[in-house]
Amino acid sequence: MISETTAPTIQECRWCGAGAPADASFCPQCTKILPLPRRRDYFTFLGVPRRLNIDPADLEQRFRDRSRQFHPDYFYNAPLAERRASLERSSYLNDAYRTLKQPIARIAYLLELEGALTPADKAAGAGATKVVPPGLLEEVFALNEELDEVRDLRSGGASKDEWTARLQRARQPIEDKRAEHERRIAEVSRQWDALLGRPAGDAERAGVLQALGELMLERNYITNLLAGIERELSQ
Amino acid sequence: MSRVVGIDLGTTNSLVAYVKDGVPVVIRDQDGDALVPSIVSTAADGAVYTGREAQRRLLTDANRTVYSVKRFMGKDVDDLRGDLRLLPFQVSGESGGVVRIGLGDRELTPPEVSAFILRDLKHRAEQFFAEQGEVDNEVDRAVITVPAYFNDAQRTATRDAGRIAGLEVLRIINEPTAASLAYGLDQRHTGVIAVFDLGGGTFDISILRVEGGVFQVLSTNGDTHLGGDDIDLLILEHVLADLASPRPTFEAPGFTRTSEQIQALRQAIIQAKRDLSDREETLLLGVPVTRAQLEQWIAPIVERTLEPCRLALADANLRASDIDEVVLVGGSTRIPLVRQRVGELFGRTPHSELNPDEVVALGAAVQADILVTGNRDLLLLDVTPLSLGIETIGGIVSKIILRNSTIPATGSEMFTTAVDNQTAVDIHVLQGERELVTDNRSLARFKLRGIPPMPAGMPRVQVQFQIDANGILSVTASELRTEVEQTIEVKPSYGLTDDEVERMLIESFEHAEADVAARLLIEARNEAASVITATEKSLRSPEFPAIAQSDLAPGEQKRIEQALAGLKHVMSSPNRDAILQWTKALNDATQHLAEVMMNRSVRAALTGKNVDGL
Repeated sequence: MISETTAPTIQECRWCGAGAPADASFCPQCTKILPLPRRRDYFTFLGVPRRLNIDPADLEQRFRDRSRQFHPDYFYNAPLAERRASLERSSYLNDAYRTLKQPIARIAYLLELEGALTPADKAAGAGATKVVPPGLLEEVFALNEELDEVRDLRSGGASKDEWTARLQRARQPIEDKRAEHERRIAEVSRQWDALLGRPAGDAERAGVLQALGELMLERNYITNLLAGIERELSQ
Repeated sequence: MSRVVGIDLGTTNSLVAYVKDGVPVVIRDQDGDALVPSIVSTAADGAVYTGREAQRRLLTDANRTVYSVKRFMGKDVDDLRGDLRLLPFQVSGESGGVVRIGLGDRELTPPEVSAFILRDLKHRAEQFFAEQGEVDNEVDRAVITVPAYFNDAQRTATRDAGRIAGLEVLRIINEPTAASLAYGLDQRHTGVIAVFDLGGGTFDISILRVEGGVFQVLSTNGDTHLGGDDIDLLILEHVLADLASPRPTFEAPGFTRTSEQIQALRQAIIQAKRDLSDREETLLLGVPVTRAQLEQWIAPIVERTLEPCRLALADANLRASDIDEVVLVGGSTRIPLVRQRVGELFGRTPHSELNPDEVVALGAAVQADILVTGNRDLLLLDVTPLSLGIETIGGIVSKIILRNSTIPATGSEMFTTAVDNQTAVDIHVLQGERELVTDNRSLARFKLRGIPPMPAGMPRVQVQFQIDANGILSVTASELRTEVEQTIEVKPSYGLTDDEVERMLIESFEHAEADVAARLLIEARNEAASVITATEKSLRSPEFPAIAQSDLAPGEQKRIEQALAGLKHVMSSPNRDAILQWTKALNDATQHLAEVMMNRSVRAALTGKNVDGL
């Protein structure tokens, strides 16, 4: 689901009325800081393509350069409207950098941006999902059995060492699943980046995004399972 | 052009600095003293004393004297339970309201008390600039520092204090970050720095990456209730318990636990603690105390600083070995045990080239200079220390801006209504890391009003949270469903309102007369003290016996000694006229002696003799 509308290429400087490229941060005519555009995304704002493999050093450098342009420290004496533009741009920059520097947050953001992850999915992913993803049925079933037995052991007065060892063993398959997931997420991410390099059909792109979306939901589920084991361990 | 300054508003001491020709400098008084004790005291006649004078009054009027007020900033009485042990002054207030401190017949909020200290610093700086021959010596703008781990309420209280003191607060910046700015000035270094800041009342650890003049905080952690005060209190309680025991180790004849006696004991303990940073043994109440003994007492407190360090490292995704440099800030880092434990944790010797008491004010001055000049050589990118969230169903906190997010930062959340035609929604904003509402700090409860009447679940109210570069939160809201984007009224319910701050500013002018009287008295005492010091120095000089014999008139030495004794006698009285009279008397009595000594030193200089002894 790729947005069909194209962004306007030109904006009007609200201070002097001159035309400025849509992605300009400062008016080429009067040099004043421009307000944050309504149509915006983190990738464009940091000047990087919509890829999932990003050079962290390059990203950091871009973040620092833009911080030096927009930071409120440098607009202290400016009129209110310019101070506001500086605050908005700095805030957006900080949010953008924080999101794009973390690989997982970057994927979630891309999915949202491409319309492949609805806010409802996001909410479900953040909380505990009720529906077990089909790819995890086997592991979840085995784990729940283990957890029941551990609770029985504990209420039966078994030593902490005993049930702890049991839990650690139960954790292993989930850890393995997570490692496998990390590999698959990296693999599908590379597929996405490769699509950007050549003309690809919408269907192909949508397919990759859907695969990524499913992996992300499973990943959240795995994270919750591991957190559940941690909670049991700390009993 | 009026002047801007950087102010370190500390728990124990405060100080002010400015930038001169690109270099930050601390402003000192005539005696070369930069530190103003953060103590405020009121006299029966309504006069308010600050700094050293207020510190002296702890021993005479303890019940009218407030110290460590920073610990009360942005707190309500519930936050302070268990904190009011052994304090000489009264603290009251309601749950969820601002704390009130009783000072004689006045009740003051912590921002008002802090404002007295800020006004003292403002005045000190103005006097300094006037002496420098500045035409416009007014100081009306300042950067004020706060502990990095201060929450929104504590930051807001600090900003209010500045406003009550008649200062435009250019920026609130974090103490460890300010310190790193002062350290990073000359060496254009690149790398990862850990700033360990253990002050009088608070502890911060900040981890920063410095590159190309950008000081980027990666993570911060701390405890706003951990510092030298806790060490003093611990030892104080130990000594008090000892004195109450059947066979006490310490000796304190006539000790009946009056407020003044407790304060005197506290000061003796502080002195002993300081002594033991340089020596292995000292005396406390006439009994020898060793450094090892002190370390045994304070070890639990020092240990409490280590866990926040580990958490900060974890949040920055770093190991201790990734840290290139460790910088120590705050008076309590003079304690050898602190240095040792920090060194062990990070595996390297910490830096302490700059005075740990002054480095924060220096950094604040640098930041003030950046703001007014627009100088782009340096840039501070700080973080918010605590996560920000809102209460959701079941008393759970839903986080909107995570801790260690670079500021300014934004977050937003969508709300809707539960019943038809509902026009208001309650929102509860919290700060902290815990899951449950009750375990976090409540920042504000407010009502979103003015929602257009619609069926339940239809309105889409977007609430936008903005943390600015001061680390202070503002909230705006708008309803997105209606065509017109509608701004919704947001009214926080904690801390002081703008009107209250305004009123306090006006009240402070009304009390200004008494405050001026207090200041004049202090100035008279300072003047007297410097004349006494100069006279005693002359009388003790190795040259003096010869001078007395050859140059002084019969009875002249006697007159000097009488005037000296007279001035010393009136020095501590509140009678300013008497102090001024005796100061003049001593000045007059020593005028001839001063001339003689000056002539001798000039002669000695001309004949090439060493004048060091004069």
